[in-house]
Amino acid sequence: MRLLLLLQLFFMAGYAQNYHTLWIPDTLSGTTFNLSAKDTFQQFLTGNQTVTAAFNGSFWGPTLFWNKGDTVHMNITNLLQDSTTVHWHGMHLPAVMDGGPHQVIPPNTVWQPYWKVENNAATYWYHPHLHMEAVEQITEGLGGLIIIRDSVESALPLPRTYGVDDIPLILSDRSFNASNAFTDVPYGDSMVTNGVLSAQYTLPAQMVRLRVLDAAIERAYNLGMSDGSTFYVISTDGGLVDTPVAVTRFLLSPGERVELVINLTGKSGSLDLKAFNSALNNTIGGGENFSNGPFANALGHKDFAVLHINIGAQTSSPVTSLPAWLTTNTFYNADSANLTRLVTITDSTGVTNPPILGPNAFILDHMLFSMTYNNYTVPYGNTEIWQITNSTNFGHPFHIHDVQFYTLSVNGSAAPAYQQGWKDVILVEANATVKFIAKFTDYSDTLHPYMFHCHIALHEDEGMMGQFIVQDTASAVSTGISTLNANATDFSLFPNPAGDKIFVKQADEGRNIYYARIIDHLGRTCFMLPRPDLRKGFDISSLSNGHYFLQLTDDATKLNITKPFVKEQVK
Amino acid sequence: MKTTFFILMLVFKLALSAQSVHVGDAVLPFTLRNVDGKMVSLNDYPRAKGFVVVFTCNHCPFARLYTKRLNDLSRTYGPKGFVVLAVNSSDNVLLEGESFDKMVAEARTQHLEFPYLQDEQQIVARSFGATRTPQAFVLLKENGRLTIEYQGAIDDNGAEPDKVIHHYLADALNNLLNGKPVLVSETKSVGCAIKLKSRL
Repeated sequence: MRLLLLLQLFFMAGYAQNYHTLWIPDTLSGTTFNLSAKDTFQQFLTGNQTVTAAFNGSFWGPTLFWNKGDTVHMNITNLLQDSTTVHWHGMHLPAVMDGGPHQVIPPNTVWQPYWKVENNAATYWYHPHLHMEAVEQITEGLGGLIIIRDSVESALPLPRTYGVDDIPLILSDRSFNASNAFTDVPYGDSMVTNGVLSAQYTLPAQMVRLRVLDAAIERAYNLGMSDGSTFYVISTDGGLVDTPVAVTRFLLSPGERVELVINLTGKSGSLDLKAFNSALNNTIGGGENFSNGPFANALGHKDFAVLHINIGAQTSSPVTSLPAWLTTNTFYNADSANLTRLVTITDSTGVTNPPILGPNAFILDHMLFSMTYNNYTVPYGNTEIWQITNSTNFGHPFHIHDVQFYTLSVNGSAAPAYQQGWKDVILVEANATVKFIAKFTDYSDTLHPYMFHCHIALHEDEGMMGQFIVQDTASAVSTGISTLNANATDFSLFPNPAGDKIFVKQADEGRNIYYARIIDHLGRTCFMLPRPDLRKGFDISSLSNGHYFLQLTDDATKLNITKPFVKEQVK
Repeated sequence: MKTTFFILMLVFKLALSAQSVHVGDAVLPFTLRNVDGKMVSLNDYPRAKGFVVVFTCNHCPFARLYTKRLNDLSRTYGPKGFVVLAVNSSDNVLLEGESFDKMVAEARTQHLEFPYLQDEQQIVARSFGATRTPQAFVLLKENGRLTIEYQGAIDDNGAEPDKVIHHYLADALNNLLNGKPVLVSETKSVGCAIKLKSRL
């Protein structure tokens, strides 16, 4: 008995020494953001490094700070050997800027989307969304957080000193092979918090805000404190809840974010933020207890630490209480809906089209995802109820692009208080039905769709995804191709040869440009510019001297016209 | 239910990668262009006991950790009959940074002391089944045949050379030079993936 106790103490002491300090991702702020996706490596285990990929070199990439109302310009450079995409998860923005599977960035290409930030203050994220490559690229470490500030949130006495009392927590898991390389698996054997194994951090003895993202491939995290203490939900995916909601557990599914406030006032020593996943049944990702096969993992159906918290001194002006009221959300009324869409989640038994991938995938609306099939056309300005019915034996976190929605009901009853907020991911449990309401406004596009899908990246890769376009039917009629003067989309380039900048002179100055591409003489795309501002010209200072092409896509007709130019920088 | 599908996905992905070649298999000699502009063939080394063929590239930060170690290996084992050759099999059309000109620049700035060959058609990568950079192959020449005696990682620590425990490649070469069998003849290479051009 004494020996056992000694052994236990020995292992506890040994374990304590194995903590690693939580990495707080770097920050970028302003209105212009430069992100480069690149191959890199990181020391996870003793011995060999693990080859990863990351934005700006670290796993995870920098946290982007945006202000609501600002127009943000992104310079996304793909330095990987593979194509990728960068999806702005949760953002309300034009589909052509969304970074979904259709906005593919080839290697060595710069993609320059921009949009006005319309989202509320909350925690969002960015990640690759290349069809059938999401598991691989997210596993490698491509992704990062976005924190939006607005006047409502900024006026509240909430903790907001990044890395001090406002802590980003990106939860995932990884498995390693004998050479310390990642393996592409649905569930990893090791908890990874902000890219750190066995993470620990010192937090001040006061109210501390945790911005938690589930960035795992398949695992949900049933979050709670090791001392059983109550904590507070202050924000869901897309904004503050009306009042802080006291909870002792919070179930976070892949793709979801939540802002929690824990109260460490008067506490000392240490405690853990834990995933109490032994309480999950086998219909929730991470609740299964497989002992072998591709889903077996060391964390399945177990309780484990997400973050070891050492309690330190208070900061000079600590937040020690929470405001009783946070905001007044005005959600859409069910009566205002123009229509209800019925989305089904089933397995693919009996589905033969397309037949290639066999009968065992989870699918939406009885079909596998196809890049060329548009599931729904949503009229611009519509308010819609989406009813998601899951008739499978597994829970699926359902995610929709473009909008933040409000959950009207879960199995016919009101959603729990901690889900009474703006959401873009909701777990639709096994054999459950969820109804949410959303408004599709501001941006219409007949060419680039938005996606809806299961945010378990493995399911998404396997084809559990659909797409919709938001179409402004009124304007589509008035600018139809039949009214086109064939010469109206013509343009010329000047100066040519050009040095740092090249400008466009359109035959019809009134025409809008949907897309611009600069292509080199070998056919490689150098720049992708959705909805370019032609008045500013194109910055070609980074191009080597040589022959190039500029391709413009007309907005009304989506016709492409391509003109050659010469880059000639006199040195 | 999900299991079968996951395995199907894996099989699907594997089918897209290169053929696998194993220790003991014979490979054919190749001829590729070196960064000095001259063609280099394995047949140019009639007195070599064998070759160390290392797949590498310009951009991969993990592969570039091995530049100095490859120079050392070349200095140690070249005079003993094992010629070190680096091969770049990256898609040089898709990836501008892997062009021949950039290889020439890389060889100069990294002071490479061994040939750095461009496998423009990815023929060598395909025939060796190379998937990562860096990935090493030790070829032994016997009776005019080249057989693979070792394939895999150079050693077991990229960023911390002083903490290497297993010098896989050097151990294999030492054993071959001493007429002993190679004890660890196959290891997993870690590094950046070699993306093969599709052959539709």
